[in-house]
Formats: sequence, C-alpha cells, structure tokens
Amino acid sequence: MSTVCPRVCRRFFSPFSCTRTTMSFNTVQREKTFVNPSQKGNNYPILQELVKPHVDSFNMLFKDSNGGEGLLDKALRDIPSRVIIDDKQRLELTYKQLNIAKPMVLDKDKNSIDRRIFPFEARERLSTYKSRMSVKIQVKVNGEIESEFIRECGSVPVMVRSERCNLQKMSSAELVAKHEESDEMGGYFIINGNEKLMRLLVVPRRHYVTSIIRPSFANRGPTYTEFGVQIRCVRPDQTSTTNTMHYLSNGGATLRFAWRKNEYMIPVIMVLKALSSASDRDIFEGIIQKDYDNTFLTDRVELLLRGFKPFKLYTKEQCLFYLGSKFRVVLGCPEDWSDIQVGQHLIERCILVHLQSPEDKYRMLLFMLQKLYSLVSGESCADNPDSPQLHEVLMPGFLYGQIIKEKLDECLIAASAQIRQDLRRQISSANIGDDKYVNKVIQRTNFDIGQKLNYFLATGNLVSPSGLDLQQATGFTIMAEKLNFYRYLSHFRCIHRGAFFAELKTTAVRKLLPEAWGFLCPVHTPDGAPCGLLNHLSRSCKVTTENLEDSASKLPALLSGLGMIQPFINTVDRRTHVAIHLDGRVIGWANTSDVKYMAEALRIWKTEGLHGVPLNMEIGLVPSSKGGQYPGLYLFTSRARMMRPVKYLANGKLDHLGSFEQVYMDVACVPKEIEKGISTHVEYTPTNVLSVVANMTPFSDFNQSPRNMYQCQMAKQTMGTPSTAIMRRTDNKLYRIQNGQTPIVRPNLHNTYGMDNFPQGANAIVAVLSYTGYDMEDAMIINKSAHERGFGYGTVYKSQIVDLREMRGANKSRSTPSLHFGLGVDAKREWREALDEDGIVPCGVKVTSGDPICAYIDETTGRTMVEKYKGDEEAYIDEIRLLGSDGGDTELQKIHFKIRIPRSPVVGDKFSSRHGQKGVMSQRWKKIDLPFSESGLQPDVIINPHAFPSRMTIGMFVESIAGKAGALHGLAQDGTPFNFNENDTPVEYFGEQLKAAGYNYHGNEPMYSGVTGEEFPADIYLGCVYYQRLRHMVNDKYQVRTLGPVDQLTRQPIKGRKRHGGIRLGEMERDALIAHGTSFLLQDRLMNCSDYSTAWVCRDCGSLISLGYTDERDPKASQLPQGPTGEYCRVCRQAQLEQDNGELDGEATQVQRRSDIILPLSKDLNMGKGGNMDVVAVPYVLRYLASELACMGIRMSVELS
Amino acid sequence: MRVRVRNLEAERINFVLENVDLPLANALRRILIADLPTMAIDIVNIQENSSVLVDEFIAHRLGMVPLISTACDRLINYNRDCVCLDHCPKCSVELDLNIKCTTNETILVTSNHLQLRSQEAQDTSGNFIDPPIGLSDDFGLPINYHLQDVHPITICKLRQGQELRINCVAKKGINKEHAKWGPTSAVGFEYDPYNKFKHTSYWYEQDEKAEWPLSANATEETPPDEGGNLPLDAEPRNFYFDVEATGALEPKDMLLMAFAELQNKLAGIVLALDQPAQQDGDMNNANLVEGMDNVDGGAGASGAQAVDDWGVSTSQGFDWQ
Repeated sequence: MSTVCPRVCRRFFSPFSCTRTTMSFNTVQREKTFVNPSQKGNNYPILQELVKPHVDSFNMLFKDSNGGEGLLDKALRDIPSRVIIDDKQRLELTYKQLNIAKPMVLDKDKNSIDRRIFPFEARERLSTYKSRMSVKIQVKVNGEIESEFIRECGSVPVMVRSERCNLQKMSSAELVAKHEESDEMGGYFIINGNEKLMRLLVVPRRHYVTSIIRPSFANRGPTYTEFGVQIRCVRPDQTSTTNTMHYLSNGGATLRFAWRKNEYMIPVIMVLKALSSASDRDIFEGIIQKDYDNTFLTDRVELLLRGFKPFKLYTKEQCLFYLGSKFRVVLGCPEDWSDIQVGQHLIERCILVHLQSPEDKYRMLLFMLQKLYSLVSGESCADNPDSPQLHEVLMPGFLYGQIIKEKLDECLIAASAQIRQDLRRQISSANIGDDKYVNKVIQRTNFDIGQKLNYFLATGNLVSPSGLDLQQATGFTIMAEKLNFYRYLSHFRCIHRGAFFAELKTTAVRKLLPEAWGFLCPVHTPDGAPCGLLNHLSRSCKVTTENLEDSASKLPALLSGLGMIQPFINTVDRRTHVAIHLDGRVIGWANTSDVKYMAEALRIWKTEGLHGVPLNMEIGLVPSSKGGQYPGLYLFTSRARMMRPVKYLANGKLDHLGSFEQVYMDVACVPKEIEKGISTHVEYTPTNVLSVVANMTPFSDFNQSPRNMYQCQMAKQTMGTPSTAIMRRTDNKLYRIQNGQTPIVRPNLHNTYGMDNFPQGANAIVAVLSYTGYDMEDAMIINKSAHERGFGYGTVYKSQIVDLREMRGANKSRSTPSLHFGLGVDAKREWREALDEDGIVPCGVKVTSGDPICAYIDETTGRTMVEKYKGDEEAYIDEIRLLGSDGGDTELQKIHFKIRIPRSPVVGDKFSSRHGQKGVMSQRWKKIDLPFSESGLQPDVIINPHAFPSRMTIGMFVESIAGKAGALHGLAQDGTPFNFNENDTPVEYFGEQLKAAGYNYHGNEPMYSGVTGEEFPADIYLGCVYYQRLRHMVNDKYQVRTLGPVDQLTRQPIKGRKRHGGIRLGEMERDALIAHGTSFLLQDRLMNCSDYSTAWVCRDCGSLISLGYTDERDPKASQLPQGPTGEYCRVCRQAQLEQDNGELDGEATQVQRRSDIILPLSKDLNMGKGGNMDVVAVPYVLRYLASELACMGIRMSVELS
Repeated sequence: MRVRVRNLEAERINFVLENVDLPLANALRRILIADLPTMAIDIVNIQENSSVLVDEFIAHRLGMVPLISTACDRLINYNRDCVCLDHCPKCSVELDLNIKCTTNETILVTSNHLQLRSQEAQDTSGNFIDPPIGLSDDFGLPINYHLQDVHPITICKLRQGQELRINCVAKKGINKEHAKWGPTSAVGFEYDPYNKFKHTSYWYEQDEKAEWPLSANATEETPPDEGGNLPLDAEPRNFYFDVEATGALEPKDMLLMAFAELQNKLAGIVLALDQPAQQDGDMNNANLVEGMDNVDGGAGASGAQAVDDWGVSTSQGFDWQ
C-alpha cells in the first residue's frame, strides 16, 4: 500500500510544484535532537527571532548595539542633578552609575555552591526572578566633589534570556540541563512564579510631523481650530515627549507640550526667537521660502508675526527670560539659576527633545509651521493617525528603562525634599556640607525601585507623575499563559493599539488598513471586543532595536554628494524643493527630481551595504502631489520601527521595508505579479504576511477568511502540549493532550518552527455525512472505540498552594511562625490515614473533593487543622513542592501541590478541525454501528455536511484528501497556503495520489451502514483531518441545581456556578413564558422554585408585615381578638385598642380608672379587628419589599378575595 | 452457504462468503468486530512508577497490548461469571512488568517485558483453582513475543534510576465493552463491486469509470452488460471479506468462532421463539432481548443444543485453501 506509483512521483517533481516539497515526518531526526539537544546553539533558532523585540530591547538597557553605553546610562545622565542651597552652601546630588547584577542568591544564604539563580527556580518556588540594583550618587558641595555613595535600589525583575539573565547565550543542551525548554525563548519576567510579559504597544511614529484634523483641538480655547501638527520626540534614552502645534483662527500658531501631565501652550514665535534670535524677516523668509505668490501663506505668516508683537519681546535673551520667569516654579530648577537658564532648560527638556542644537529645533519648527499651513490651506491632507505608516512600537525594554529613569528621578527628588525639610525645621544634624548627614538622608529615603517594578509587572499599572507620554496607565503587562505553544508564542507577537482605543465608539481604529500589509497579520486578530485593536506581528516582521546613529551621521554628507542643498541655505524655493529629514531633523533640501534619484541611490546602497547605509534605514520618499501627504524625503534610522524583509527587484537583494516607506513602494506578492517599471519589490513568499499561528492553518487560502480568524482563536484554545518541561512548571492551570500526533498535512513552517515538539491534536478519520442525527448543528459523533483507544484524551494540571503565613491563626508580627506543618496528637483518624506522618498527602494518590491534602498545627491552640483539596473532580496529587524562603533559613511554611485531573472526552466537550469548524461531541457511537468503507475503515469522527455550504471551509476538504493521500503513501503533505492555483489545483494533485493508491479520485468512498450492512445510496467523503480538542469542557461548565444555597436577604437562589447557584430566568425569558401562556410554568419558575414562602396577611388592613402572636402568659392579651393559633395583626389591634380606649375615655372613664381590671367591651369579643389573619403564598422578596417600603413610610396593603 | 478463503496470513484472512443474504453477512461482520472474546489487561496495579509517564497513561497503553488468546472462548470464564473470589486462573491471566534502568542507557520498555505469573486463587469454598486444561503455554503473553523481526509494542522509556513495578490482570472481554478486546482491527466488507444493484450512486465529475477505480473484488464477478437489467428481486449473495486481525486469535479460529457465535445467537432467538408463551410472555421477551445483547448470549449451554434445531451446519461449507 505504501508504494508510490511512478506517476505520483513525477508529479512531485513537476515544474508546477516547484514550491511544493514532499516532506518527511523526520521522526528519527526529531527524536535525535530531542535526546541530544544542540550543544552549540538552539535547535530552532528561528523561535528566538520571534521574541527578539522583547529580549533585544531589554538588552539595550545595558549595552547598546554599537557597543556604547546602554539606555540606562543614557537615562542616568539625563536625570537632572538636584540642588539644595542654604545660606552658605550649595549641595548638588547627581546620579553617576547604575548597576544591575545577575540574579544571585541572597548573601545570607550559606549553603549554595552555585550562587546563580535560574528561572526554573523562581518558577518552581513561586518567587520573582530578580537581581540587585544599585546606583552611585555623587555629592557635590559648592561645586566640588565631596563624596560618592552607593545606594541599593532593591531587586529588579530581570527578563529571562536577556543580558542580565543567567540563561543568556545558553545552548539547547545547557538549557535542558537548567530545566528549561530546549528552545526557551525568554522575553518575559517571572513575578511570583508567574510568567509576565510586557505587551508590545502601538505608539505614534517618532520624529515625523503628523498633520491632524481633530475637532477636539478647537475646544482648547478661544481662536483654536481643529488643525494641528504633532511630533513625538524621543530622547536618546527612549523617553519621549510630544509637541503639538495648533493653528489659531487668527492665523497664529501655538506650541503645546506636557510637563508632569499638565499642558502648556507657548506662541510659536516666542520659541523661534528664543532658539535663534531670528528677526521677523528671517522667520518670514524661512517659512515662505520664495513662495511669495502664495497669499494664503504670506497672510498667515504676517498675522503670526503680528500676533506676537504685544509681547514686546525682541531678542533671544528676552524670550528666554520671559519663558524662564513663567516656568521657574513648574520646572523645579535650582534656585540659583537665572531666568534665562531656566528658559533654556525648558527648551532643552520640553521642546523637540530629539534635537540638541537650537538651529535644528528652529528649522524643524519652521517646517512644522509650513506643514501646518499647507494642511490648513488644503495643499496637503491630514495624516491618518490609525495607519501603521505612522506607527511604531513601544518596546518592553525601553518602557522598562523609562520607568527606572523616572523612579530614580523621583527618589532623588524625595531625598532632596527630605534635606530641604530638615533645613527648614532647623534640625541640628542637618548640614548639607556634611556628607555623613547627606548619606544618612539618602539611606533613609525609600529607594526600593525593585519593588515598584515588581508592582508594575505584577499588575500592569503604571504609576508615573509624567505619564511617560503614554495614553494609558494600565494594562501594560499580560500573563504568558502556557495553555499551548501557539498561545504562548502569540503573546510575544501580539501588539495592542492601546487601551484608550478600546473604549472608542468609532470602529475606524479597528479597520484593517492596506498600510498594515506584511507587518500585522490580517487574519490573526480576535473577534469580539479587542477585534482589530489586538493584532499580531506577521511572522517576518521585525522591530528594530539597534542604534544606527553612527551610520546615520554619515548620511548628510552622502546626500550632499547627491546634490542636497544644505539646510541653512536660505535661497531654497519651496515650490520646487522638498525637505530632507533624517530622524526628525531637517538635513537639507533638494529639487523634486533630485530627491527621487537620491532615494533610489540610497536604496541601492542600503541593499548592497555600500557607503555604510544601514539595511534597517527607511527611505520614505513622499512625492509631491495635489492634496496628498506632505512631500519630502523622510529617512528613519531610529529604533522601534516595524521592518520586514522583501526582495528589491532592482538588484535582487534583500531589502528591509518599513511601514512608512512601504506605502510608496510597489510590492508584488508573487513573482508572477511583477509589473515592469512599476513593481519595486517582491515578497519572498506570500506566507510572510501571516502571523505564525495563522501560518499553521493548512490550505488557509481555500477558506472563507473569517474561518481562518476563528482557527487562530481556536488554535490558541486547544489542549495541546504546552511545554516539554511540565515537571518543572507550577502554572495555575495547564492543559495537556495525552496522545498528541504530528499532523499529516502541515504547512512547511510547521517544521521550520519545530511545532512537532508541541503537538496539538490527532489525525482523525473524518466522514462527512449525516448519520443518526447526532451530528446535527455542529455536533460530531465519535467512534467509541477511537475514544477508548485514547482519542482526545487530556489532562488538566492545577495548582493548590498552602501558605501557612496566609492562614488564619498565623502570627504575622512575629518573626517565627506559629503554624507548623505536621500531624498533632489530636488529628482525626481519617486524616492520619490520608496523610503521611509529616502531615502531607503522599505523592500520586487519588483525591476527591474535600480530602485532606496537608495538616498543620496551630502553636497557640495546639490543635491540628487540615487543608482540603478544593476541586470537585477526582484528581491525583502529581507533584508536591516544599517551598522555603529566599534565604533558605526559615521553617517550611509553603507547599505547592500540583494536581492532575484526567479528562477523557465526555459528551459535550468541544473539538475542532484547523479550519474554524468547531463542534461538540454529542455521542460515542459503537464501532459496529458506524458506517464503514469497503476496506473496513471506520471513521473516528462524523461531521455533518451542513457544516460546509455556508462556511465555505474548502481548506478542510483539501486537508481531508491530502491527509488521506498522505496516510496512504506515508507522506507528510505540504499544506502551505498559496501553493496551488487555478491551473494547478489541489484536487488534481491529491486526486492523482489517491487514484494511485486505488481510491476514488475525489476522495469519496462507497460506505456501508454498520447496522444493516447495506451500501449507502450516496458515496461518502472520507478522509483524514487533524482534530484539536479545545479547552472548553462541560466538566468546567455544567451548572445544575435543584436545591441549594439561597441569598440571605431575598431567599432567592444565588447566582454563580462556583457557589452552586442557579441560572437566572430573566425578564426576556419571563416574557417568552407569558407569550406562550404557560402561566403554570411561569409560577413554578418564578415562585415555587425560587423564593416561595407563606405569609400571614391581615384581611382588614392588608398588611403583610404586621403579624404578631399572642403571649399566652398574658391573660389580658388572650382576651383580645386573635386567630386560632394566637396570631393577630398588630396594626389593627393597636388601632382597635386606641379606638376602644377612646370610647372608654368618653363613656366610662371614671369606672375604668378606679378599677385595675380592664373589662373587654362586649362588642369586641371575637368581633373586633386584629384577629382576622390569613395565610397566603407570596414570594419572599415581596415581604422584604413591604418592610423596605415601611421603612420609607409607605404602607403596602394586600387585598384578599 | 459457502466460505471460500482466498488468502490466509498470520494476521489476515480474506474470504468470500457466498450464497447468503445481506443481513447474515453483516451479522458475521458485526460478530467478527464485536463479539469474539479475547484477553486484555484490565486491572493494573502500580507499585512503582518513576517513569515520566503518568500512571493512567501506562495503564492505558498496557490495556491496548494484544495478548495471545487462543481458545479463550472455550477455556476461560468471564470474570463476572467465575466462581472465584476476585480473579483466578480460570478467568484471568496475571502479568508482571518489573523493570528498572540502572545504566545510563535509556531502556525501551516494550510488551516483551511482560512476564506471565502463576497465580494462586481460591474459590468460595476455599479450594485452590487450577488453570484450565488445554491452555497453551504462551496463553496471555503479548502477541509476537517470540518473533525477532517484529518490533514489540513500546510501552514507555526509562532512564537511569527510573523503575516500573507493575502487576497486571488480564481478563476476557469483548469489543462491545472496550476497544482493547476483540481480535480484529478492521473488517473489510464489500458486495456488488460493479454496483449492479444500484444500491449506491457514484458521484463523478466527468467520467465515472475514470474516477472510480474498480475494486479488486470485481474480478470475481461478471461486468454488467450494457443496458441489461437485473431482475427486480435480485439481491446480493456474495460478500467479500478482508479481515485484519490483531494477532490475539488465529484468523482461522476467529472465523470459526464467529460462526459458532452466530449460531449461538440465532439459537438463542430460536429457543426463545420456540418456547410457548407460557408464564409471563413479556418477561420472556425481555429476557430474549437482553440475551441478545448479553456478552455470552445467555445461551451458552442451551444454545449448543439448539444448533440442530436450526439446521444449519457450518462445517460443510468450509473450504480451506
């Protein structure tokens, strides 16, 4: 059967199928690498590529890619010194050096031989993978260096496999020895045993002036309009500020920036003058650039200049002085600075911070003004801020560095504030000239940055006085769930648009834009709330992290050689010349025709590596157009840009395209699409534009596109093989499939990414037919024998942690614990039977709900208590970890139990193929009753043909025949999308293979009824499809209740599956029952099965809450009107008594007064009000309502009839 | 009725069932799949398992190992019907899997490491139970244990220091109960390769003949003549079986057992129908239905008597080649 006919062989090597390769399953090879992982590098280095944005950005903190100082050092230099001045002395505190070590055990630990800590230890011990951080603080007194202190800053979490991780540069073999995956990729932090990562976030592209028309701009004040231009400026340490230039309706413009979350507006002219002391004429010429005929422009510029006249500021110094005097308090500059210094400081810190020299800032502001006016005049259009063209990525490492920088700044401020306070209070020891005192204050100030970072990573909440120029303060971190490998992987590739956009009502931001092509996967986004906001990077998309400043610095010279006019030349005509920008700096001007030539030359140099032009540079040539994007040549060498590899057609070399330049390129998807003279690039392979997970769907090009989206979701919910080091993991919940198989039909990338290490399902024989009705509505029938042979058998691992320090009875104030693990003499017999002598359940035993898993003794009471297994299902104790403290010097207080719950598939569990075809298993059908083919083959799974017409998942059909042919010939079939076309169909290709094996060309087979043995009237599509078992299982979902807990107040059943509550029969359900006229059912649901209660109601006053019972010991009371069991209405009786008393008062007061005996009035005997009570059935809440209303002074009365 | 065996291999039998009608042929197919008893490991006592696989995983794998079950239909009791207290040689086989890896070479634990163990069991009156007479020595051992060139079934792997100490009890059962029992892995079944009866309609895109290859069984029949119609009452009479065995039973035995089982089942029906509707008719019918589904048909002894009544003698039709 396994012989391949020569005809098939020929087809494998036919020119049609040049991209199609016959694959082997490589079983032996895989086992070899599994047993002997690579000693030198990683088994699958490409996996490391996927998390590179995370790891590299973190590494940049310590050492830049060009070997220079890391971002943290850059940040440290940027933190301003804090100055304290008293009568005689001037103290200046400056950060000098920052050190972050590698994770090591605490110094007090005396037992470790290898003092390094490895991530597995943090994971297993449920601790944080962190290392010590310290800074050096320089103390200058009166300008002379007095001393330098080292201040510990706590322990900061360290990214796994980063520069500061002990796993860095380890080979697969070494990683395995350290209990990691052979291809551990890192990129995450370990916080309290949980793997946390910082999600990539979309932020506006840096150093590009974006035109914006935003109606809300007009609300900023009088004369403000909706027009503005914005630029996000990034300092070398990757902190950023955004500057916005607003157009005012009076023709003027203001510059807006934010300082500590407060926004400030300054007239642009003031900034321009403060930068260069330019005359009005200079400014006018600089903006107009010979375009004198453009009256729109000349008028506005005139107005702009005129508008500044009232300030009466003419020189640079005057402007700086003015700015300084206004911002002195806000900026917190040293008191001995002059206003001019403060003004300069303001410009340095807040305005176009990416540029150092005032001339550059000046030129950039002029450019911004030009762009602003062109936007207003309609000469150029507004940029789309939702377009990936204008996006870059907020890198985890960079954000981490920014937080550290800000926290350090805060600490120094806090320390200096403390010193100032001491001085103010005239504390005797406070002497800023005394370094002992300064040191003491610094040591006293809270410098625990580690703890703050820990909080940030654990919660994802950013506590920041400046807001770090970000639009959100929460949701920065997510848990890296190892539900299965696909899900794990996609965490690192996902990129979020920002929490702010999630609340937006408009859906424009969610749109899939053509600009995203190749950078963000068009398929891989969830449906529902985060749809379109949470995207995934395509598999080939890279995010630049390296420093290209060195090569960028050579570019102006290169461009000058190509005819670029220097920026300071003021004879440029803006009608014929466009600006050339390099990372937000105007480096020159060029003729519109020259600039095209420059861009081409640069691209040739860049792809061929000539003249030191870096491959990761973006050459965004925006051509001149009427009403299009503002023209210019924009060069980007900055970090955090999305780049992707494509082939440059001009020289056939590799080119990295950025999302800005791609808009103006013409990239052909396949070589066939190349059009001479138009196409500039061609994709290496069309699958490059899909994410890793989307690439794993075989023949996805045959499916209706939403189905591929669903598959991306479901692949991430599949019970698979999450890890090969499950023994070393302590996840809260882990799903694992027992008999995972490698798919017969798989895309080529399945092998490339080594997905066979993490199987996700099983190859099932699938028949598409309607059989017995149990496969209706997406249900699927499973062969009982297949089930018994282990189809879809899975396991759930859960963690239960017993921490005695958190228990009731634990004494937190004492250093020695008061609770101890163990069995006391008072332990019950069944505890003794279930637990070992140490009070801990033995490993491997079966536990059911409520079984004890460990016992502990309370020192104070002397009693033994047990901790019980909390789950509902039968489970096994898989592993037990006794967790000591960090120093290893305290008594055992914490135990981690890993609990294994076997989950064989049951009716109601969810399965899916890889084509968005999910279904619920509805029946396990006996083998003998199942249909069978002539060869005796019986399906493992039967699905209904109705699952196909509306969903159009043709890919599943193709997979089915491909799988069948693969199984028959022993081939691993290539399911890479876009490999077939109209002239070379998969039906033909796989049909020939099937035919060669003696099967029907189209994959159909005559089948026989298992019950009667008769041949079916129609032949059945029978093939082999890879099936995934999804994690949604009835055992986690079913909710049943007859009797159970009720709410205290309303006596209605409580809600919640966990608490054994009921399911609400809501208003709409109620409406349906009413509409059906099923009143009895309605009463049963809403009353009898809910809060049915009986209540006494007074027939006279109708009160539900006035029940009283006669005190039988009181002879007087028993004379009063009452019901047979002594019940009476308190309201009516009171009223009656008052009435009676009134009568008595009137009639026979004297008689009564003299006598102590109250004689009942004859007319009241059994006749008076108060005793006329009746029992009615009411919902209990009605009584509650009555009493609540009574509290409000409202009487509710019921009429009985 | 005639059985013509076309091919007989160690684990395969290909035969033509001639001159019977469809329900009977299908009944035979169903019996071959689901009603022939074999032995399989049913209880696994794990004393020590330090391998990387969890207990239930290993237990499941052990259960799926086919064991030599020759003559287990005659000589071995169903455990539930046996007189013993728990299990005994008359209803079970005990197997041991004791293996420890002491070297740094990984050990591949296979079905061949399963060792038979003699068992001592007592019946309710305290007498020791002897194994049934006539059982082969290798009864209960994994199939192909003696063949060098057949790779045994992998159970798990052990590295240095890991150990398995497992005691298994194999019991008799049928496939209806669990897939691990049963002597067949697939039963090919076909009739009417030319589709003369038009029971089915072949779907085709262009050319039916080109797209639907003829089955090998077509050589046994004459091709339909163009436009020739079959008589209205024509029914399939020849059935092509291709039975793939697991190795637990000899294919030949398997077929004989299947016929015997078929007779038993039919006899059960005949017996029940023959009995006059005395006592409680409904009860009787209920018993009958239950008997049909019951594992040993409820017709063990009585069924044998009824063979003559039924009047079908199987032996005459056999034609061993």
